[in-house]
Amino acid sequence: MGNMSSTFNKHKVLHDLAHHLPSQTPLKDFIHHNTLHAFQHLPFYEAIIQAGRIFGYNVTFNVHEYRSLHKVGRIRDEVLDMVIRKRKGEAALATWRENCLVKQYTPTYDPRIGKLRANWKRHYHLDLDNLIQPLLFRIVGSYLDQGIAIWQFPFEERGLLNAVREVERNSFASFFRTKRVRQMLFDEKLTLEKMLDRLVGDPRLYGQYLFDQQFGHKGWSGMMAAIEANPHSILYQKKVQLYDFIHLELLMEIDNLDAELGTDWLPLAKKVDGLEPLDLFAPVPGTELQEVKKIWQDAFEWSYYDEVLSGLRQARLAQKSSKAVPDRRSFQAILCLDEREGSLRRHLESLDSDCETLGCPGFFGVEFFFHPWGGKFYEKLCPITVTPKYLIKEKEAGVKHADELLYTKDSHKFFRGVLASLSLGLWSAIKLLLQLAKPEKNQAAKDAFAHMSMDAELVIEHEGQQENGLQVGFTIVEMADRVEGLLRGIGMVQDFAPLVYVVAHGSSSANNPHHGAYDCGACSGRPGSVNARVFAFMANHIEVRKLLKDRGLEIPFDTIFIGALHDTSAEEMAFYDDKNLYPDTAVLHEKNKAVFENALDLNAKERSRRFASIDVHQDIHKVREAIRQRSVSYFEPRPELGHSTNALCFVGHRNLTKRLFLDRRAFMNSYDYRTDPDGQRLLGVLRPIPPVCGGINLEYYFSRVDNQKLGAGAKLPHNVMGLVGVANSSDGDLRTGLPKQMVEAHDPMRLLVMVEHEPAVVLRTIQAEPTLYEWFANGWVHLVAIHPTNHSFHYFENGQFAPYEPLNVQVPTSDDIHGLIENAPEMKSNYIVHATKENLPVHIIKNPN
Amino acid sequence: MSLFLPYFILVPLLGYLLSSFANRRAEGFISWTAMLTAGLNLFGIMALGALWVSGGFQDYHYNGPVIYSSEDTVFAIDIFFDGTTAVFAFVASLLTLLDTIFSRYYIHREMGFKRYFNSIQLFYLGILLILFSGNLEALFVGWEIIGITSFFLIAFYRHRYLPVKNALKVVSFYRVADIFLLLGIWICHHYFHKSIHFNELQLAWEQGTPLITAQPYTLLIPLIFLGVALVKSAQWPFSSWLPRAMEGPTSSSAIFYGSLSVHIGVFLLLRTYPLWGDNWTFKALVIASGVLTSLFATFTARVQSSVKTQIAYSSIAQIGVMFVEVALGWHKLALLHFASNAFLRTYQLLVSPSVLSYLIHDQFFNFIPPQHNFADNLWGKIRMSVYVMSIKEWRMDTGMYQWFWKPLKWVGNKVAALGFRGAMYLFVPLYLVGLYFVYHKGAVPMRAIGVLPEAMSIAALSLVLMAFVERGDARRAWTLIVMNQLFVSLAVGFNEQFDFGQIHLFLSGIVASAVVGYAVLNYLQKQGEAIDLGKFHGHSYEHPKLVIVFLLASLSLAGFPITPTFIGEDLLLSHIHENQIVLTVTTALGFIVGGLAIFRIYGRIFLGPHEKGYHEVAYRSS
Repeated sequence: MGNMSSTFNKHKVLHDLAHHLPSQTPLKDFIHHNTLHAFQHLPFYEAIIQAGRIFGYNVTFNVHEYRSLHKVGRIRDEVLDMVIRKRKGEAALATWRENCLVKQYTPTYDPRIGKLRANWKRHYHLDLDNLIQPLLFRIVGSYLDQGIAIWQFPFEERGLLNAVREVERNSFASFFRTKRVRQMLFDEKLTLEKMLDRLVGDPRLYGQYLFDQQFGHKGWSGMMAAIEANPHSILYQKKVQLYDFIHLELLMEIDNLDAELGTDWLPLAKKVDGLEPLDLFAPVPGTELQEVKKIWQDAFEWSYYDEVLSGLRQARLAQKSSKAVPDRRSFQAILCLDEREGSLRRHLESLDSDCETLGCPGFFGVEFFFHPWGGKFYEKLCPITVTPKYLIKEKEAGVKHADELLYTKDSHKFFRGVLASLSLGLWSAIKLLLQLAKPEKNQAAKDAFAHMSMDAELVIEHEGQQENGLQVGFTIVEMADRVEGLLRGIGMVQDFAPLVYVVAHGSSSANNPHHGAYDCGACSGRPGSVNARVFAFMANHIEVRKLLKDRGLEIPFDTIFIGALHDTSAEEMAFYDDKNLYPDTAVLHEKNKAVFENALDLNAKERSRRFASIDVHQDIHKVREAIRQRSVSYFEPRPELGHSTNALCFVGHRNLTKRLFLDRRAFMNSYDYRTDPDGQRLLGVLRPIPPVCGGINLEYYFSRVDNQKLGAGAKLPHNVMGLVGVANSSDGDLRTGLPKQMVEAHDPMRLLVMVEHEPAVVLRTIQAEPTLYEWFANGWVHLVAIHPTNHSFHYFENGQFAPYEPLNVQVPTSDDIHGLIENAPEMKSNYIVHATKENLPVHIIKNPN
Repeated sequence: MSLFLPYFILVPLLGYLLSSFANRRAEGFISWTAMLTAGLNLFGIMALGALWVSGGFQDYHYNGPVIYSSEDTVFAIDIFFDGTTAVFAFVASLLTLLDTIFSRYYIHREMGFKRYFNSIQLFYLGILLILFSGNLEALFVGWEIIGITSFFLIAFYRHRYLPVKNALKVVSFYRVADIFLLLGIWICHHYFHKSIHFNELQLAWEQGTPLITAQPYTLLIPLIFLGVALVKSAQWPFSSWLPRAMEGPTSSSAIFYGSLSVHIGVFLLLRTYPLWGDNWTFKALVIASGVLTSLFATFTARVQSSVKTQIAYSSIAQIGVMFVEVALGWHKLALLHFASNAFLRTYQLLVSPSVLSYLIHDQFFNFIPPQHNFADNLWGKIRMSVYVMSIKEWRMDTGMYQWFWKPLKWVGNKVAALGFRGAMYLFVPLYLVGLYFVYHKGAVPMRAIGVLPEAMSIAALSLVLMAFVERGDARRAWTLIVMNQLFVSLAVGFNEQFDFGQIHLFLSGIVASAVVGYAVLNYLQKQGEAIDLGKFHGHSYEHPKLVIVFLLASLSLAGFPITPTFIGEDLLLSHIHENQIVLTVTTALGFIVGGLAIFRIYGRIFLGPHEKGYHEVAYRSS
């Protein structure tokens, strides 16, 4: 948008609008992304300050909150000094310390958005939003509705505007209050400019006016724009265009003004003297308060980063002699890099010192659409940015879904409603009673394991079939490429164990419209079970192995890959295709399954410390059961805490982090610089990290600091609208972002990506792609290269790596992680200091095995 | 056994008090208190129900404490238990119990955890007061408690715009119903010359004695109660408040608007049935209203794309059917229908967030694009018109504003042209003169005394309308409301039966609350906070304690039960004669608008988005 010129460029304004509106698609899929993606071309602080000023966002903690964190020691004094020295120089240290710690500031709330349209109220005493929004939302909600209404909006294939025209043409009643505007609706030649001329009257103001108007309800507008950009994000296809919505709203504005004021009201520019356009995107002048907040935020982040880097160093030094690698690993497990899997990996390693765990994005490098048996649509199972050319089909699965009378829409019809309300009432009381007493799985809850039938067969190998432009299955070469790509990427090129588990993850929850946000981000917000199975199939394929052997990657004959799914909320696990193993392998598998079971117990216990309703000290099986019940309880708004507290991302060997207790805060992608000395595979490994992990991190960041405008608010009052989103009220705007219950424990800090390779190699890699480079260069994620041989740290800043020496504070050592967990403080309220107190500091684990 | 009846009121009262004094972070204590309260009562009701059945369905009655009495009025909290009470109280207690168990987890860690449970407890107390009430006055007390807790729970998220706006909207509906109920009590007083006791009504009905014989009361009295029931049960044309009340946590919407609160209209009809059970003209009216509502609500439910709104309208449609059942005398069926519908809708609302995963899953496997076989003929056009009207909720939401509030505002703005000072110059001397004459009635010419009550009452109404449209200083609006109350007492003072004691009772409440409220506003202004009424200020963000003080003052000024103002209000009304139509209308309007103007001040000053730069501010559209 930049400068507002005297002429109005409709296409540019529409484009800019769509770019700045929330890009969240209908909730059935939840893709984490940088909430302020429209500002990503700017350096982080500049971007958030500008976005804050334009739209009234709260983009950091407030000074008082930072000070509270400082007081309880979560922001360390020496880090604060370090940050001030770096930003302001040694000389100004005392002044800025004073500013940060005691000086009083009076912040103001003065967003640029909405100022022009506020003139309706100021000069005409008319609250246009109150007059228009309830009906407008109702119309657009009904139009987009995917299946809540029994009687659907007609003519949906023609676009919103034409559908409304068609409805009006055939109805005695009207959505409009005046005849004149109803006629205007039918005028196909009526342009945006004409309507804006009537309403605003000065072309220089049109752009600003439309921004004001559309950001008055950015949820619905964003939904229109997002569906327009991704038409397949809805199943019931409708023609969706943001333009239609704007056109309709402008008409309704004229209509309501006419109805309230008669036809001779003046456009804003004529009514209000000296109305000058305001450049929404003009640079924001710096203030001292902003500087103070930058210092505090840096200090908050580095208080933790420095602790982590110190921990890394001290853990390495404490490691006197590395334990001998066994002749052969008992098993290997490849899990999603997801930070929630970090603790499971730690527990597996502690239970079986001969095992090895690895991490990679949870779609395991196999990208495809999935067609469940009997399904009418395809599901994408790979990162959102990838457009697969392959289709995996499910063959002959059992019944998917039984109807539940209480959920069908029959009770909303009249006669069936009478019957239902007379007969089902007692049944629902009993059901409610049972569910409160003993929550169990039910049709309405989302079950991660139901994504694919346990025993269904999949068509994975290509046999010449095509379907809707997609190739059904992969050819041998395509399979080999993918298996090789993944294994080499994570440095798994030799020493294969007899069993390699490919563990995907998903999340079960009940009564949770945001369930997609808990699933695997690398699988477009779905469980990755199919991917795990497909990958295991490929890696087990004899022809594939032959081909891999020719390429120098030999997988021993007796190594079997087994796909699995880990339910991160119910803390349960299922293994796929493990029925026909060789007897020897089967014995090993049974042994390993027991290890997984125990690890799940421990993981449940570790997670339970954050749930007030579970007593962490009780018997571990009871804890596990209580954790499972959460995932099927209607009354539980926190089935799990999702990606809450994520802050780190390691790209390197597990040995680096094995001795660190990181409290489930680190994404961990396996990578071995030794197998990739020139960093040829590093780009492939790093490419998904910023959009996937950085996207998650920033979504949590912004939903945490402004849960009202950038997050979805408390989820308790949410009302599902048209199966596309949630709103607070029957008349409310759609709420985008994450609900409070997901982010309350989150520390809003940017992701620190740590790559184990030479700085020069890392620099070369990130510079290879501008979109990738932007993330690091503009500071949306931090980057540290860990030198593989001299173990020095190099922080990426201003386009280059500079050495970073940790302040070397002694990181505590613990040989009793379970004790640490059991005695961790519990959050009393979601007030900042309480909420983040339970995020434990880095610990060195004395005896990891 | 009757001696046992107060138990059902005392338990929730005790529960509420315990919960009020709890530490706001003591989640365990607060939720256990609520669960125990409902649980104990549920147990009691089941026990009493069993006794009632084994005792041959003999109703119980308990004469409660007399709160006020004079020679012609007795205000007592009587308790009554019969089959209707049994069913309603059983459902209410069971649902409250289930809902508090649910909420214990659901509301966990919410900043307003205590506020939520307190409101639920107060609500439960209110609903039991209604269900166990032995007379209309006791019922009214419960009625008002429910109204005010509704406001609290709708505006639970008090720093967002829509909850506050909708809470005010719902209260504006409720306020109309409340005043109608007050009028009902008033007209019954005049007709029966005593308080109505439900057990006496029941007895008379069983003996077949017609209760109302004189025209136009045969129709007028039931009509007033029907009006009350229509509003409270969200029947046509008052349906639109129900979906808008669902602003609080889903668990509170489920119990309030899904089940208990919204069925109270049915209860009122059942209770007053003896007054109109033999009146077929009126019964036809009730049936027509029920059928009409069912029709409109069913259509509206069919087109809803928001799940809670859909459930709300489905429930309204069923309540319409219950109205028909009551009118036809099928009371057992109506009770079954009520219980079943209440359970079903509560359940549906509680699991409504699941609709997304359930229906998307269903759609994924079973989707068939809907067929719109639109016919280009008259029938097609009628269908399309019904579709459009249903999307617009048959204009019920806009209608109430357009036809009721907007004209009042228009008048208010006309009066406001006087300006605050102008009004003071005009009304203060007028009041003083009036005050002189009310104590020296002999000095007033006989002809004048006939119109003086009306004149004073119109003055009172003007003042309150002015307060209602005030956009500037809240203290001005507050002062205008206080003056309105003074004029109301003056107006009644001119009616010949004059009792200083009653007026003074009324005024004692007014004066205390007036001073406290004014002081709070003044204090805020001194602190440099904005106290204009042009927008919401959300001062509860920084002054959480002050809110409570101001709220108490507001409730007292608005005549919330158990404050002297309320009893005074009831008594004042009883001095208006049934043939003084102008005086009745203006006084009733004054009460309606006055209450709302007070809520408006409270809302604008203390609720809504708090726009200071150090924390997040919610969008206006949320």
